[in-house]
Amino acid sequence: MLSVQGVGEGPISVASGAGRQLLFTIRDIGTVTSKLKTSRYVGVRGPYGTSWPWKEYDEIVAVAGGIGIPPIRSLIEEMNGAGRGKDIEVLYGARTPSDLVYKKELKDWSKSIEVHLTVDRGEGEWNGDVGFVPTLLKKVRLSKNAAVFVIGPPLMMLNTVKEALSIGFKADRIYLSLERRMECGIGVCGHCNVGEFYVCEDGPIFNYSRVKEQRELFL
Amino acid sequence: MNYLLSKDEMDAAFHSISMDFKCYGAVEREGEVVFDRVNSFGGISEERSRYAPKEFLISRNEDVLVLGTQDRKAVFGVKSCDLKGFYIMDRQILGKDPFYTEKRRNTLFANFVCNEPCDGGFCSSFGGPVLDEYDLQILREGEMYHVMVSEKYDGYFSSFQREDSSYFTSFKEEFNRKAEPLQVEGVEDRMKWDSKLWKEYASRCISCGACNFSCPTCYCFDLYDEGGERKREWDSCILGGFTSSSAGNIRNGLDERLRQRFYHKFVYFKRSKDTYLCTGCDRCVEDCPVDIDIKEVITHDYSGE
Ligand SMILES: Cc1cc2nc3c(=O)[nH]c(=O)nc-3n(C[C@H](O)[C@H](O)[C@H](O)COP(=O)(O)OP(=O)(O)OC[C@H]3O[C@@H](n4cnc5c(N)ncnc54)[C@H](O)[C@@H]3O)c2cc1C
Ligand code: SF4
Ligand code: SF4
Ligand code: FES
Repeated sequence: MLSVQGVGEGPISVASGAGRQLLFTIRDIGTVTSKLKTSRYVGVRGPYGTSWPWKEYDEIVAVAGGIGIPPIRSLIEEMNGAGRGKDIEVLYGARTPSDLVYKKELKDWSKSIEVHLTVDRGEGEWNGDVGFVPTLLKKVRLSKNAAVFVIGPPLMMLNTVKEALSIGFKADRIYLSLERRMECGIGVCGHCNVGEFYVCEDGPIFNYSRVKEQRELFL
Repeated sequence: MNYLLSKDEMDAAFHSISMDFKCYGAVEREGEVVFDRVNSFGGISEERSRYAPKEFLISRNEDVLVLGTQDRKAVFGVKSCDLKGFYIMDRQILGKDPFYTEKRRNTLFANFVCNEPCDGGFCSSFGGPVLDEYDLQILREGEMYHVMVSEKYDGYFSSFQREDSSYFTSFKEEFNRKAEPLQVEGVEDRMKWDSKLWKEYASRCISCGACNFSCPTCYCFDLYDEGGERKREWDSCILGGFTSSSAGNIRNGLDERLRQRFYHKFVYFKRSKDTYLCTGCDRCVEDCPVDIDIKEVITHDYSGE
């Protein structure tokens, strides 16, 4: 949780790998996020909740939509740090080319790992893929035993899960990072529930099999 | 341990407790029963307080940047249904919310077991009014007091006359005969996501949030900054902004929010914490300006929908 005193607090992911200088990537969208950049002091509370269980799997497909990419950045740093950079493929999509975050990192990453990009609408000099993120799943070279880590807007996550299942990835190897309104981050304020789970403490990263029955999963 | 005390002995026990705790009790003030400082056992009302004693552990509004030292408090005359709310909340927030936890550990609650079922209340449906968990549980029989004391506070009573628990047991059976428990067990499987109840309630509900604020088990709060303080304030899942975020609002509809309230109480909490998030106090029913009755959620025939 990041805060600006006198303004408020909000949940923000750590975008850097363990043991490195803390890095955050924030979209200026409201009360707190608009003040974080110019504030002299920023409060940090956490970290809370679950993280990507990458150590449990030999191969990982990371799928990000929109500004869901910061937690994937830390994942890549972690895996690279452990000498496992080759075990991950990254699929990332945004609305337009200018909405893609981390242009420099994307370039660096693609030197050593498979990175597939797409945009909903091509613009300017874009000569890459045009289409929604889930369509990139077909390009994945890793096996269908790979774990699939998904983060992004609800509709993108829903379609990614559907596509992943339909082409043979396993439900119990799919992980979702859910986004809900959060205030306390520690399972006491009640704002972030999805059924019997509190996203802040039981998640935000959930095994899809554990939450797939939830009626409000992708609303 | 169980004890049998006379009124004078209760006063003596109160006195020894008041050496270690700041004592509060249910008292009548301007026609309403509220909790206030008391200095004798005799002055404590057996009427139920207008509001649940939730504020002893969760302030309506407080700064959460500083956790000061908490006074040790003893609160007398809490009704069993209200007290049970804390034991239920404990399962979700004790040990995690530092304010609640600190206050909880420093507060002794002495609950009064009602002699007769009250109008509307349905505590017997949730195992009340004789509780399994308590600090001091007091049941008056004429001029005598049957007291169940938890181990932690047994020292205050060990010089009084011991008895076995049979009075409480037969009292409970008798109480259940007078206030027949609703069929709660299994409601988590009976309730329907698309039940017509939610829309019907939404057509009447005015989103005032009174049901949450009066509830002894509702613990949700809002966090916001004001001046140099970070405030925590009671919040309500019925209010439209409760789940609104930069990613949208998962419960835009009032029917969805009402369903959430009842699903949290009877389905979600049961699944995650193995108990219902309700004590049968009936406060939400009494305080609802449009007469939405949670008992209907329990007894409704969903199979017919
Ligand atoms: C687990 C998690 C990780 C996130 N990581 C990032 C990140 O790395 N970078 C980034 O730019 N954004 C991230 N977000 C989204 C970010 O939290 C919201 O955009 C931000 O809280 C908006 O706050 P605000 O005060 O500027 O907006 P306002 O709309 O004014 O919000 C007021 C308050 O509502 C709550 N709130 C509003 N929107 C959200 C939301 N989408 N999710 C949770 N609470 C919200 C917060 O308590 C916030 O302080 C993340 C969200 C979650 C749940
Ligand atoms: S009856 Fe209503 S106010 Fe009382 S515990 Fe149940 S939900 Fe809460
Ligand atoms: S007390 Fe009644 S009217 Fe008010 S929010 Fe609750 S259900 Fe709606
Ligand atoms: S953010 Fe408070 S319970 Fe999850």
